Amino acid sequence: MKKTLIHLSSSPYSNLSCKEGLDLALVLATFEQEVDIFLSGAALSLLNTAQTPTAEQGKNLHKLLAGLEFYDIENLYVHASNLEAAKQANGDNLWQGTKPLNQTEWHALFSNYQQVFRF
Amino acid sequence: MQHTLLITGSPYQSKACHTALRFVKTALTLQPDSIKGVFFYEDAVLIGNQLNQPPRDEINLTKAWQSVAQEYNIPLYLCIAAAVRRGVVSEDESRRYELTHHSLAEHFQLEGLGTLVDLMNTTNKIIQFR
Repeated sequence: MKKTLIHLSSSPYSNLSCKEGLDLALVLATFEQEVDIFLSGAALSLLNTAQTPTAEQGKNLHKLLAGLEFYDIENLYVHASNLEAAKQANGDNLWQGTKPLNQTEWHALFSNYQQVFRF
Repeated sequence: MQHTLLITGSPYQSKACHTALRFVKTALTLQPDSIKGVFFYEDAVLIGNQLNQPPRDEINLTKAWQSVAQEYNIPLYLCIAAAVRRGVVSEDESRRYELTHHSLAEHFQLEGLGTLVDLMNTTNKIIQFR
């Protein structure tokens, strides 16, 4: 079976990319495809647990993260250095369900995927 | 080798639809069965709006895709959720939402992301244009 990585790098609030990337991940998982998620750049703001956007600001996509395991999406990766920066920016409001990777681990992992989609 | 194209870039904010069109034309010229399907997602679904009226001295990208689809008989799928959200609505969906108009261009069809998953599993390679 092909392994798919969904790489989210867009802000959840600047456009629909993040949402539509997550939607694709959920559909792939629903069809029993192996799928992992990698967060970088502005998409790291998904990890803030204290966000309460209004309807005008957008959907609270952070809430989706806790449900990923019910779709058998168990790997949500981030660069270790990005995670450190996110810890400093978010303090106690940082979601704890990610798996940090160093550069070597990331390179090794990346080549395991037959398909990578960027959103 | 058969390819599927996933196009996600907006026809107005990126060159994704333009570049993918050039790729498809070249691939089909070299090998007529090399493209199994093209799936438009995110803002790329705007390509399927039949009401698009570009200025006369610019390319009509919707028509260009339609003629490729017709000539080589390749399916052009638009993600139904992404399309309906953006006002690209087929006759069926127009009835379902009790609208008075529809806007889906000929040779494009609305499909769920499950169709993309099926394409992924039945072609050698999928290429994203964003």
